[in-house]
Amino acid sequence: MIKCNTPKSIGGMGHSIKRKEDDRFIQGKGNYVDDIKLNGMLHMDIVRSPYAYAKIKNIDSEAALKIPGVIAVVTGKDLEQYGLHWMPTLMSDTQMVLPTDTVMYQAQEVAAVIATDRYAARDGKEAVIVEYEQMKPVMDPYKALEADSPVLRSDKEGQTSNHIWHWEAGDKEATDKVFAGADVVVKEHMHLPRIHVSSIETCGCVADYDKVNNHLTMYMTTQAPHAIRTVIALVAGHVGLTEEKIRVISPDIGGGFGGKVPVYPGYVIAIAVSFLVGKPVKWVEDRTENLQADSFARDYHIDVEMASTKEGKILATRFKVLADHGYADAAANPSKFPTGLFSIGTGSYDYGAAFMEADAVYTNKPPGGVAYRCSFRVTEAVHAIERITDRLALEVGKDPAQLRMENFIKKEDFPWKSPTGWEYDSGDYHAGLQKAMDVVGYDALRAEQKEKRAAGKLMGIGISTFTEIVGAGPSKDFDILGIKMFDSAEIRVHPTGKAIARFGTKSQGQGHETTYAQIVAEELGIPAEHIQVEEGDTDTAPYGLGTYASRSTPTAGAAAAMAARKLRHKARKIAAHLLEVSEEDLEWEPGKFSVKGAPEKSKTIQEIVFAAYTNHPQGMEAGFEATHYYDPPNLTFPSGAYICVVEVDKETGEIDVRRFVAIDDCGNIINPMIVQGQVHGGLTQGIAPAMYEELIYDEEGNILNGTLMDYLVPTAVESPNWETGHTVTPSPHHPIGAKGVGESPTVGAPPAIANAIVDALSPLGITHMDIPITPYKVWKAIQEAENN
Amino acid sequence: MKTTITKTFHVEDTVDNVWGLLSDPRQVVTCVPGASLTEEIDDNNFKGTVSLKFGPVKAVYNGEITIEEKNVDTHQMRLKGKGLDAKGKGSADMVMNGSVSAKEGGAEVDYSMEVSVTGKLAQFGSRLITDVSNQLFDQFVGNFKDKLAESSAPKETLAESGTKETYPSDAKAEQVMRPEPEDNAVNAFSILWGVIKAFFKRLFGGGK
Repeated sequence: MIKCNTPKSIGGMGHSIKRKEDDRFIQGKGNYVDDIKLNGMLHMDIVRSPYAYAKIKNIDSEAALKIPGVIAVVTGKDLEQYGLHWMPTLMSDTQMVLPTDTVMYQAQEVAAVIATDRYAARDGKEAVIVEYEQMKPVMDPYKALEADSPVLRSDKEGQTSNHIWHWEAGDKEATDKVFAGADVVVKEHMHLPRIHVSSIETCGCVADYDKVNNHLTMYMTTQAPHAIRTVIALVAGHVGLTEEKIRVISPDIGGGFGGKVPVYPGYVIAIAVSFLVGKPVKWVEDRTENLQADSFARDYHIDVEMASTKEGKILATRFKVLADHGYADAAANPSKFPTGLFSIGTGSYDYGAAFMEADAVYTNKPPGGVAYRCSFRVTEAVHAIERITDRLALEVGKDPAQLRMENFIKKEDFPWKSPTGWEYDSGDYHAGLQKAMDVVGYDALRAEQKEKRAAGKLMGIGISTFTEIVGAGPSKDFDILGIKMFDSAEIRVHPTGKAIARFGTKSQGQGHETTYAQIVAEELGIPAEHIQVEEGDTDTAPYGLGTYASRSTPTAGAAAAMAARKLRHKARKIAAHLLEVSEEDLEWEPGKFSVKGAPEKSKTIQEIVFAAYTNHPQGMEAGFEATHYYDPPNLTFPSGAYICVVEVDKETGEIDVRRFVAIDDCGNIINPMIVQGQVHGGLTQGIAPAMYEELIYDEEGNILNGTLMDYLVPTAVESPNWETGHTVTPSPHHPIGAKGVGESPTVGAPPAIANAIVDALSPLGITHMDIPITPYKVWKAIQEAENN
Repeated sequence: MKTTITKTFHVEDTVDNVWGLLSDPRQVVTCVPGASLTEEIDDNNFKGTVSLKFGPVKAVYNGEITIEEKNVDTHQMRLKGKGLDAKGKGSADMVMNGSVSAKEGGAEVDYSMEVSVTGKLAQFGSRLITDVSNQLFDQFVGNFKDKLAESSAPKETLAESGTKETYPSDAKAEQVMRPEPEDNAVNAFSILWGVIKAFFKRLFGGGK
């Protein structure tokens, strides 16, 4: 049960109030980058490479420049004059803005066409003739590491192979020892395929450089406006564009999911062109460019092993990862974490030994490795641990629910130190799984499955009991380009008791305008409807690192509570002054201070705020505003227990997801309706890689499903009926006990679905299938199993 | 993006006649929808163009064709083609193996074609490419048979006439081989209907 401390009229935490931002969204009044139209604005389109690996012999712009409206064709050689043809990635790698001689993946930017309108720009793009000399691309990450593979990044000094980095966590020696002595060892190789975030809005920007005032306003689709401003200042400082001269505005964003964290070449070219011509330049990707060139996620090849006693007591795990990063490591992880938070992969289970290692490799694919609705590689880690746990259950002949119950970390053992060094803050895994089992009717389903199997039918039940790690992060470990990953809130209450609150994060659909208002309402008693939330403008919002990795509630949400508490502290002083009592004699209830034992003597928060402007105590600072920069002491560890039930048609391989129960524990809940909406969206983005999505490349480097005709993003049609629920285990260190939820379902759903399908097929001797598990794959597996 | 098509077809004609047509690229190219020869380098090397249109994607490939093998005794030949999109939007490679043998009073032609495309056509048309290639191949067979029937009647050959014109053999061939490259394109929309039919046939007909 969710308990509300405030009445509905205040609308603090726990109330399912309607989303404030939806008034404008459902009436077509949102303001997205592509809605921005400025006087004299030019349009940019980008010529892209048809080849995965080729030398550029010549770029012929003549025909393009003859098209009315086309004013320039910008190439890498042009940018080279300003030192802007390469740019750094967030992972200390480098990436081309525009190539001067070699293209490294199909759909890479080759040249930019600038025109007075969008149609001319597109015509110009078609008219640019580029001569290439094709080379044999390196597509397979394992082959890329072989000695005879061509070295793709010969531009990098000292780079003698396609190997990027090696990473390790845990204790190798101790883990190997446990494995050597274990009764049971299970092992699988799995590939988490390359997928794409495919948010509704593609990436784009309007770069508006004002020559007279030497000032750049950059409207862009970014999840982290402040960080981007700092990056622009660092990159463009040498041409006089210093940080105070740069304003980054992230207007309404139509979905980010990690894909709007990186800096793409298009942004940089638009800035460069605007800087040179002194006019605003708009660039907006089309759907196909977005899918083919930006923000891929996953692409981890994982060997995972689990050791246990013969009774199924988990003793140790080992993970070996090969990470295909494309031609540049353009992931967007915290600096010290090349594999993100993959080391959460030891899971929800109580054991002491684990060793993980990963190697990253260059191939002729788009650069990236973004955290698609995931706290940096947690999806990959959770898939591996939850799949191998089911594999172990099969091996030792135990029900996978029972095996999990026997291995869970116990509620009373939190805070719990994981073998890879994390301190899990809180959790109640037994309660979550029990609730999911009760809701789904687990025992009855197993009985039904038994009958069906006897009748030759394929039915499967899959479980995933995951632990997430979100809210990056504590400054001692977490930074991006050196900037610590705190986040911020600034609350200004106006004389009439209405407020504006600004944050360093940036909503892309998460509902911050509502949930942050609810946090402030909870702490100050000002009705949520009178708290206006603003984000995304670096000129007005306090500095913060943005919204991704489920970090907004754990960081900026905490900052909101802390700033509000500073104000409540001030309110108490003012109330004491107004009521002529000492501060200790006052009692707080949402919205007012009253005198202990004399409740009729009270002052509402509105009266107190008014006094802060009209009658503040002598010696006290006037006004009513506060700012807080919150540096989290630890990450938060949401968890969930998901159960999926499938029926598989033996003849066609068709998979029917019959039930899907998701019980999430994200600590204290701010707005149950929004949480449920987040879970629905996340589950749909979880079924996507489990059953549908994969970016497929052939040996020549062609993307074979580079449009949404061939790359199926599931919609309501493909989605089963999601049954959601929750348990509440507050985070002990977070000011409001919240943990973050946006990513849990994306992380938790794929293994539940994969486990269900493999469970359905297990009577045929099938122990593992790589996602996406399509009907064709299932059909083939059935055929192979039956022919053996 | 690679696709391989293998076809066998029967013609009521002598092996020598069929071989004569098959082994002469100047003749056989006129049967390939959207293709034409533009230059003869020597007996075994030619230059030509192939135009294709996949909805919004139009590709005009300029390339070279090489006869890698031509065995008069076994009636086997092997052609290799390599083309670059005229606007730098992609490339295509093709290997064609053909052989003729006597069968049931006529001749049987075994043909296999491996086509590999890179670039825009592969990016946008990968799902259609096998079906479209199949359709094109069927058109080729039709053209080939027509050409064969026509060539039974005595007429000038390219070499004799000394012209580099194309060879309209019938109305159908003419339609796809008008000289301007713009119009020479085989519009995939026109064969799309065939592709759609093939798709539904597979869908409901229970396999190929």
